[in-house]
Amino acid sequence: MKPFSSWKFLVVVLLTGLLLNGCGFKDIDKRFFVVSIGVDLAKNSPKKYLVSLKFAVPSSSKDKPTAFMIVSEKADSMSEAVRIIKTKVDKEIDFSHAKVIVYGDEVVKENGNSGINYWFVRRRDIQSIAWVAIGKPSALKVLKVQPKSEYIPSNALFLALGRDGSESPYIISEYLFDFKYRLIERGFDPLLPIIKAKKDLFEINTVGLFNKSKLKLTLNPEETKILNFLRNREEKSANKITKGKTTIVIATHKVKTKYKIYTPKGEPPYIKVNVSLEGSVEEATRLVPNDKLSDYERATEKSLSKEIENVLSKIQKANVDPIGFGLRYRSRHFNNDDWEEWKRIYPLIKFKVKTKVQIEDTGIIE
Amino acid sequence: MNRYFLYLVLLNMIVNVIIFVPKILIDYRYEGAVMGVIIAIPIGVALNYVYCMAINKFPSQGMPEILATSKHRLFKIIHFYSIQLIWFAAGLITLVGFIDILARFVNPEMPKLALLVIYLAAIFLIIQMPTQRVMYFLEIVLFLNIPLIGFIIFQALTNKFLSWDSMLEVGTHIFASPSLKSIAAATYCFSGYANLIIFNRVIKGKLKIWNFITILFLGIFNLFTTFFIPIGFHGSDGAQQYLYPWISTADSLRLTYSPIERVIFLFLMFYMSITLISISVHWHVSFELIKATFKGKFSKKKNWIVIATYTVCSVAAVIYLNTVLLNKITVYWLVFHLGFEILVVAVFFIWARRQTV
Amino acid sequence: MPTNKVQTIKEGILNKIHKPEDLVFKENQTKEKYMEVLYIKSISDEAILHDNLLKPFFETSSSEEFLNFLQSNPKVSEFESEQKAIDELMRGVAILFYQDDVFLFDCKMDRNNAVMDTTVETTIQGPQAGFSESLPVNLGLIRSRYPNTTLAVESTEVGKLSKTKVMILHDTKFADPVTLNRVKKFLDTVDIEMFQTGEQLFDSIRKSNRALFPLMLVTERPDRVAVNLASGKVILLVQGSSYAVILPTVMKDLMSSMEDIYQAYWIAKFLQILRYTAFNVSMILPGLYVAVSSYNPELFRVQLAMSIAGSRTGIPYPSFVEVVLMLFMMELLTEASIRLPKAIGPTATTVGGLILGQAAAEAGLVSNIMIVIVSFVAISNFVVPINAFSFTIRVLKYFILLFSTLFGLVGVVIGFFMLLAYMVKLDSFGEPFLTLIQSKPSKE
Repeated sequence: MKPFSSWKFLVVVLLTGLLLNGCGFKDIDKRFFVVSIGVDLAKNSPKKYLVSLKFAVPSSSKDKPTAFMIVSEKADSMSEAVRIIKTKVDKEIDFSHAKVIVYGDEVVKENGNSGINYWFVRRRDIQSIAWVAIGKPSALKVLKVQPKSEYIPSNALFLALGRDGSESPYIISEYLFDFKYRLIERGFDPLLPIIKAKKDLFEINTVGLFNKSKLKLTLNPEETKILNFLRNREEKSANKITKGKTTIVIATHKVKTKYKIYTPKGEPPYIKVNVSLEGSVEEATRLVPNDKLSDYERATEKSLSKEIENVLSKIQKANVDPIGFGLRYRSRHFNNDDWEEWKRIYPLIKFKVKTKVQIEDTGIIE
Repeated sequence: MNRYFLYLVLLNMIVNVIIFVPKILIDYRYEGAVMGVIIAIPIGVALNYVYCMAINKFPSQGMPEILATSKHRLFKIIHFYSIQLIWFAAGLITLVGFIDILARFVNPEMPKLALLVIYLAAIFLIIQMPTQRVMYFLEIVLFLNIPLIGFIIFQALTNKFLSWDSMLEVGTHIFASPSLKSIAAATYCFSGYANLIIFNRVIKGKLKIWNFITILFLGIFNLFTTFFIPIGFHGSDGAQQYLYPWISTADSLRLTYSPIERVIFLFLMFYMSITLISISVHWHVSFELIKATFKGKFSKKKNWIVIATYTVCSVAAVIYLNTVLLNKITVYWLVFHLGFEILVVAVFFIWARRQTV
Repeated sequence: MPTNKVQTIKEGILNKIHKPEDLVFKENQTKEKYMEVLYIKSISDEAILHDNLLKPFFETSSSEEFLNFLQSNPKVSEFESEQKAIDELMRGVAILFYQDDVFLFDCKMDRNNAVMDTTVETTIQGPQAGFSESLPVNLGLIRSRYPNTTLAVESTEVGKLSKTKVMILHDTKFADPVTLNRVKKFLDTVDIEMFQTGEQLFDSIRKSNRALFPLMLVTERPDRVAVNLASGKVILLVQGSSYAVILPTVMKDLMSSMEDIYQAYWIAKFLQILRYTAFNVSMILPGLYVAVSSYNPELFRVQLAMSIAGSRTGIPYPSFVEVVLMLFMMELLTEASIRLPKAIGPTATTVGGLILGQAAAEAGLVSNIMIVIVSFVAISNFVVPINAFSFTIRVLKYFILLFSTLFGLVGVVIGFFMLLAYMVKLDSFGEPFLTLIQSKPSKE
C-alpha cells in the first residue's frame, strides 16, 4: 500500500501548505509595468534627485496603441522615490519589463552618483540586460518623447538601442551588467550612448566616456564610429574619402581590429593597432575604373589611420580607457603591481595604427 | 562505458552551482583559487579511480550488502551513521540554498516554507522508489535538461560581452599558493562517484578506464565554466560582489529571437528539476542506509518516523538559515566533506583489499 | 429405451434448471431409434439443429449407423459431468439422450458476428475492418493475419455471475513467459461479478483498485493485434466484446497508432514528435498561463505581457478561476457531444464553440487569450491516439493547474516532474511504464 499512502501524505502536506497565507499571487491586470526609468538632478528643491518612471497602460483592443503615463518624484535616494510613487498609482509597480535606464546630463557630470547604479543592480527584478544611456537635455524630456511609429511605450528606444530595428555604427549600446563591470574593473572604463530628445524623435549618435565616477569626454559622431570599429562591434558603416577630385563612399561589410601592447626595455612603450576593413563602393562623384581601385584603397588607409590615431590620442589625453588597454596589460603580466605600472605607462604610450582596406566590389556598375 | 556512473558524476558537477562553489572560488580568485582548481582535478580523478577499483570487486551490490558479511557491528554502525549524516547534510544544503534562490529570484513574496512543502512532497515521492527507478528518473531528467544547459553555455561562450581579458587576468594569479577552501570546493564537483554506495546495485559490469578519462575532461570543462565564465561577464574585480555569480551571469544573456528573452528564467527552470533529482539522490542514499542499519524488516511505522525526521530537520534549517549564515556553513562543510571523503575512500579500499586477499 | 443412468442424469438436469419458458424438451422417434433433445431455444440455433441432427436422424436407417454418425460428428461431444452439462446448456448447447449415452451437441447461436468497420481508431489508408462481437469470428480474423504455429490459444473464464469466456493469445517465440504467468495469475484473482468487456479490467490491474493511468490497451483493430502479437504481447479476447485487450502496455504503445507503420519513416517520426508535443502542451498550458500571468509576468516579452494585460481588463475574477471556468465548459461540451443524438450533434458544437466562446469574451467573462488557450488544449488532447490515455491527460492537467495556482512557475515544473516520477514508478505487469524496448524472453 505504499503508493497509496504517499498520495495521502501528499494531500495532507499540500493542505497544510494552504494554511500559509500570502503567496505572491497577483493578477497581471493588477500590476503596472514600468518600461523605462529616468534619473535627473532635482532643481529648486532640497532633495537630490528627480526620478521619473514611465508606465505602460494596457489597452483592451488592438486598434489603439498602448498609452503611457509618466510619474515623477523628487527624493534623496532611489528607494525613497519609488516608495512615494507607489502611493501615487493604483496598481502594484512592477519593474520586470523596465528595459531602459536614462541618466540625465547633469547627473553624470557630477561626482559621486554611481551609487544609483548599484540600486538597479541590487534589485532582483530589474533585468541585467536593461540598456543604460545618458539623456540630453534631461532624462525626463527623453522619456516624454513618443514617436508616432511606436506601438508600445519606449519601444522605439528598445529597438534603437537593441539593434533589432535600425543598425547604425553611430549607436553604442550598453547593458546594465556591462556598465557595472566597467565601473569597477581596473583598466576598462565605462561609456554610455547619449540620447538627444528632439520633438518627436530621438537622436542617438554620440557617446559619453567616463572615468570611474563621472563623465569626462563626449565624442562626436565620426569619432563614435571609429570607437565602434575599435571595439569590433560594428561592421556596417560608410566611409568617405577624397582623392584628387573624386570622392567615394565605401560601405563596409567587415571591420576587424587587433591590437598588441609592446613594452620593450629602455624604449618608450607603444601599442600596435591593426585594423582590416572590407567594403564595397557605394557612391562615387566620378567614374571609378576598377584598376584604379587600389589607389583609393591606399588613400582610405592613410586617412583612416590618421583618424584613428586622433581619436585614440583624444581619449588618452582625457585619461580614460574604454577599449580596455589597461585590462589587456594586466592580463598579460604576472606581477602583482601591474596596475600601478600601467597607470604610469598609459599617459605616455604611443599608438601605431596600420589599416588595411580592401574594396571587394563596386555594386552593379563599375 | 557505463553510463549510469557518468550520470551520477555529471549530476554533482551540474548542481555545484547551487551549493556555492562558484562563489567560493571567485572569493578566493586572487588568493589561490586557480592553483586550487588545478590541484583539485587530479585529486578528484584519483579519488574516483581508487573508489571504483575497490567497488569493482563487488559487482551489483550496494554497501549494505557488501558489509553484511562483516562481523564488526559497531564499525558498521558508525560507518553507516556518519555517511548518512553527511549525505543528508549535502541534500539539505542544496535544498536550503535553492529555496533561498527561488525566494530571491522567482517568488519573492512567497514564504519559504511554502516552496519547501512542494519540494518535500516531490522528494518524498522519489526517495521511496526502488534504486533502479531512481536511476531511470535521473536519466530522464538529464536527458531532458542537458541540451538546455549546453545551449546556455554555448550562448555564454559566444557572447560579445564575454571578456577573455578578464579571465586571463585572473589566470595570471596562478602562482599564488592554493587555499584549502578552494580545493575543497573544486573537489566537490568530482564527488558524484560516492553515490555508488547505494547505486552500485544498478550498475552492471565493471567500470572501465574510459569512464575516468571522460570524467577528467568533463571535470576540466565544468570547473572552467563554473569559475571563469562569471568572471568573463562581470569582471575580475566585480564578479565577487554578486551573491550568486552564475545566476547573475545567466541574467546577462539575451536570446534575441525567442519568446523568452531573459535566459535567467530558462536557467532557473532547468535548475528546479536538476536540484530536485540531486537532493533525491543524496537523500535516497541516506534513506537506504538508514533502512540497512535496522536489523529487522523495515515496517511502515519506521518509514513514517524517518520521513517525519527529515521534514522536521528541513523545516528547521529553512527557518534558521539565511543566506549569509548558509554561505559560511557551506564553506566549512565542504572542507569537512573533503577530509571525510578521503577517509571513507581509504578505509573502504583497505577493507576491500583485505576482504579479497 | 433409455437406461437408468441416462434417466437419473436427465432428471437431475431437469430439476436443476427450473424449467424456463424457452426450454425445449422433445422426443424424436423412428422405427428403430429413440432420442430426446433438450435445449434452450433462444440461444440455440434451431436451423443447425434441424440440418445437422434431426434430418440425419430421420434419414439414416439403422440405430448403429446413427450412433456412428453421432460419434463422428465434430459438433458432438461426450457427457462429462452434470454440472458441466448444465453450464453448456446455458450457453446454447443441446443435450441429447440416445440409447444409453448422453451427448452434447454444439448449436450455439452466434448473433452479432458481423465484422464491423472501425469507428474509434481510424486510419487514413489501411485496413478498415474491426472486430465483431463474437469470439470465434474474432479469433478467425486474427488467425487469418497471423498464420503461425507458434500462436498459442488458451481459454479461461472470468466473472462470477456472467461467466464470460476469455481467450488468451500469445506467440510462444516472442512472449516473455514471466509476463504470461503474471497475466494468468492476474486473471485468476480478478473479482468481478458481471464481466462484460475488457475495459473493466482497468481498475483491477492496480492492487489499490484506483488507477489513473491505463496499463492495458484496448483496441478494435485486428491488424494492431497481429502486430502486437509479433512484438511479444499477450492478447485477451472477451466473449461479447468487440475490443481486444493488449497487455502489458507501456507509454510508447499508448502514443502509437497504426499510422506509424502505414506511412513512410520520416513522416511517422514527425507524427510521433507531434503527438508527444501535443501531450505536453495539453498538460502544461493551462498551468503555465496561470503561472505566467499571475506570478511571473516577466517570463515573456513585454509585448506579450501587454497583450495579456489588455485582454484581461474588466474580468471580475482572478486568472485561475477563469481557467477553471473555461476548462469546465470545455469538459461539458466534450461529454455532451458523445451523447447527443446525431441530428442535434453538429448544431451543438457550433453553439458551444463559436457562440459561447465569442459571446463570453464580449460579455467580459473570459479573456480572448484564454479562449485561444483552451481551444488549443482541447484539440491537442485528441491528438493522442488511444482514447483511454487522452482521458488520463484530461485529468492530469487539473493536477498541474492546482500546483501552478498555489506555487507559480515552481509548481508547474515540479508538478510535471512529480508526474514523471510517478510514471517512472508504475509498471505494467513487470514492464516499467516508460520503457523504450519491450523485454525479450530470457534465453533459456
